Amino acid sequence: MAEIRFAGYGGQGIIRSGIIVGKGASIYDNKFSTMNQSFGPEARGGACSSQVVLSDTKVLYPYVTVSDVLVAMSQEGYDMFEPELSDKGILLVDEDLVKINPPRGKIKILSIPSTRIAEELGNRIFANVVMLGFFTAITKLVSKEGMEKAVADSVPSRFINLNLKAFQAGYDYKKE
Amino acid sequence: MNPIITAFANGIKKSGVELSNMVLVSDIPFEPEIIKELGVDFFHITRGRAIAFGTGLKLGNPDLKIVAFIGDLMTLGGNHLVHSGRRNMEMLVICVNNFVYREIAGTPAPSVSPGFSAFSTFEKPFNAPHLANSCGAVFTARWTALHTNDLTNSIANALDKRGFSVIEVLSPGPNFYKDINQIDSELLDFYYKNSVTKNNEDTRNVEITPGEKIITGEFTDKEKPTFIDTYNAQLSKILGDKFIPHGGQSGGD
Amino acid sequence: MKANPRDVNTGTYYMDGDVAAGHGALAAGCRFIGGYPITPSTEAAETFARIAPKAGAVFIQMEDELGSIASVMGASWSGVKTMTITSGPGYSLMMEIIGLGAMIEAPFVILNIQRGGPSTGVPTKTGQADMMQSRWGSHGDYEIIAISPDSPQELFDYTIKAFNLSEKYRCPVMIMSDECVGHMSEKVVIPPAEEIEIEPRRFYNGPKEKYLPFKPDQDLVPKMVKAGDGYNLYITGLVHDERGYPITNQKEKGKRQQFPTRRLVDKIRLNADKIIELNEEGMDDAEVVVVSYGISYRVAIRGIEKAREKGIKVGNLRLITVWPFPDKKITELASKVKAFVVPEINYGQIVFEVERCSHGQANVVLIPHGGAGVHNPDDIAEAIEYAVKEKKKIRKVIEWKTRLEKFVFEGGYKLNK
Repeated sequence: MAEIRFAGYGGQGIIRSGIIVGKGASIYDNKFSTMNQSFGPEARGGACSSQVVLSDTKVLYPYVTVSDVLVAMSQEGYDMFEPELSDKGILLVDEDLVKINPPRGKIKILSIPSTRIAEELGNRIFANVVMLGFFTAITKLVSKEGMEKAVADSVPSRFINLNLKAFQAGYDYKKE
Repeated sequence: MNPIITAFANGIKKSGVELSNMVLVSDIPFEPEIIKELGVDFFHITRGRAIAFGTGLKLGNPDLKIVAFIGDLMTLGGNHLVHSGRRNMEMLVICVNNFVYREIAGTPAPSVSPGFSAFSTFEKPFNAPHLANSCGAVFTARWTALHTNDLTNSIANALDKRGFSVIEVLSPGPNFYKDINQIDSELLDFYYKNSVTKNNEDTRNVEITPGEKIITGEFTDKEKPTFIDTYNAQLSKILGDKFIPHGGQSGGD
Repeated sequence: MKANPRDVNTGTYYMDGDVAAGHGALAAGCRFIGGYPITPSTEAAETFARIAPKAGAVFIQMEDELGSIASVMGASWSGVKTMTITSGPGYSLMMEIIGLGAMIEAPFVILNIQRGGPSTGVPTKTGQADMMQSRWGSHGDYEIIAISPDSPQELFDYTIKAFNLSEKYRCPVMIMSDECVGHMSEKVVIPPAEEIEIEPRRFYNGPKEKYLPFKPDQDLVPKMVKAGDGYNLYITGLVHDERGYPITNQKEKGKRQQFPTRRLVDKIRLNADKIIELNEEGMDDAEVVVVSYGISYRVAIRGIEKAREKGIKVGNLRLITVWPFPDKKITELASKVKAFVVPEINYGQIVFEVERCSHGQANVVLIPHGGAGVHNPDDIAEAIEYAVKEKKKIRKVIEWKTRLEKFVFEGGYKLNK
């Protein structure tokens, strides 16, 4: 059982990230998952988050209470959801977008310039997929194969290769 | 029998429309005997919703010929009128314009003209054929209930049209349930004698104005793709072979 | 009867509840949806509009919700299965014609993805405050069926069931879901068509001249024909006899009015046992029973787990069918347990039904919520703990002070006494 929170702003693919993780787990890894989203009335640019509950059995209570993983792609998202993160949780941030506070408890902090990597690959729109690759390598909550299938399944067919490349770039990023 | 119903029955005969395919939707409770005599299916529903109800009937079974007999066309039914004109939903609307809700004496309807209502009103009335025409109706006409032959012909013409047609009939009292009383007959006679027929008149000029002649006639008669035509065209474009066109005589299959 | 393979997009998907409901409607054989977009139900309509044309079904965006529901009535009598999709203010607008639907016994389904209210309320967030409106929203006496799914898979499965019930009983069937379930994504398995059971329309096939549109069968439901099939139908929203003709005789009106409306009510009440679907667990030695529905059921589970960790014997009763209300079940439980705990996202609707049926035998605790979110499971656990300890019989609904309520009252108003 793991509770995951993605936070950022509209247009970053935050909700899509939640769908991909949920799909990877429950369709391709045969686990159970529930994905919930929340966004303000303004879709693009506004604060936005998605939450995924992963489990080996049917998910009953569908929401995050204490998150095991927080993926923060914006300062606002980090500020809002950092308190929700478990003392033993994992925090993944886009290092160019989020300035983090001094460490709390045994939280494992890992950062990646996901937006910059995506821009180097041609478009910052892949930033969330880079982050998903990183997420997969670090947390091992969903199999790499499952995630790749879910990524391929969730983007227009002409962009599959670019997305998989972005995913791999995140997956291979130095884990410090 | 009520002169409008007589004209309607004759209009059906003249148009050659299959009776069994015809469904009458109305917010007026017709007498069952009249419906039996007409030989059509009849739905008496909540006020003003006949066009919307008819839309469902038509899209559920595109072979049906829908006629909406409406008392509450421009009030409760206003939005349905406006949008069915816009999308050219195939049906005939017969608007029985009695100027006042007879059963709620003195309460004016939006088509009331100051000169006609017992208690009068200061509001400007709707010009029904112009409203329908502006919204996109392919056929509009106005007659009084005493123009039996003209009304019959217009009903036949409208039934033969593919699209949204509106005929306004000036008639005192929507109440088909009871006999038309003496005052009503007088009023009906007044309408008839004060009318002048001007076919193809621009609908902008057919407003009913107190003290002036009521203009009757067939005003609009044009061709336009129906809702089902445009639906089929659009979805064929998007879906190609995967699309199952929406059937019936107007479905183009 | 099995579903038509053309209507069933068999497969395993990761989709939200709204989308699943759109697929469920088509699989159930729905041929027509008249709707008007409103958050948070729009995705269901969008889904149907996208998949319907490949199966010969139609979606039309009507001019408003009144038009939507009226078109659904018309399509129903044209002989096809129909639904409309709405939420919040849209649902309120539909009330007038729901009564017409009950009166002319048109089978139809309404999907209500409930949101926070009243009025515009909280369009993008949840609520469960339309439960009584479903039951009593249109004027006059009639009965409806309402079911409350708790997951995207159930929004698929129970949309089909809603259609089946509406065809079987010829009454309005409401799918009373909410924003949480509608916008929640989970795995949804759409089975092959041959595994989906659908209820065909109860068409009449006797001699044409003998057809009486409102003559009931043994189960009190009359048989139907299609408009345009030459039956010379007379169908009216006025009180009518078996022929469908309005009852006009003033002397008889009072007496004869009893028959048609009585049957509209009885065809559901007397068949209630066949209609009601419940899910119960841990009842054998329960001292307290949590009664919940929809998303509140899934939230309550966490509260129940917490209470059980403390050794409290809690039963869990989920109302899958909310209307007709399971009177018998609640009364039977009331004689065995100390209390009922009812969490719902409103300030008390279904809880009063529970109180009514418990006939003063068990205490009834409401855990209220003003909407735009779900309960804190700790509140539910604490309410259970209180309910099991309370020795007095308190002859009114006990309103539990949740954390949220405390917050509201601390920072908010006080009533001057």
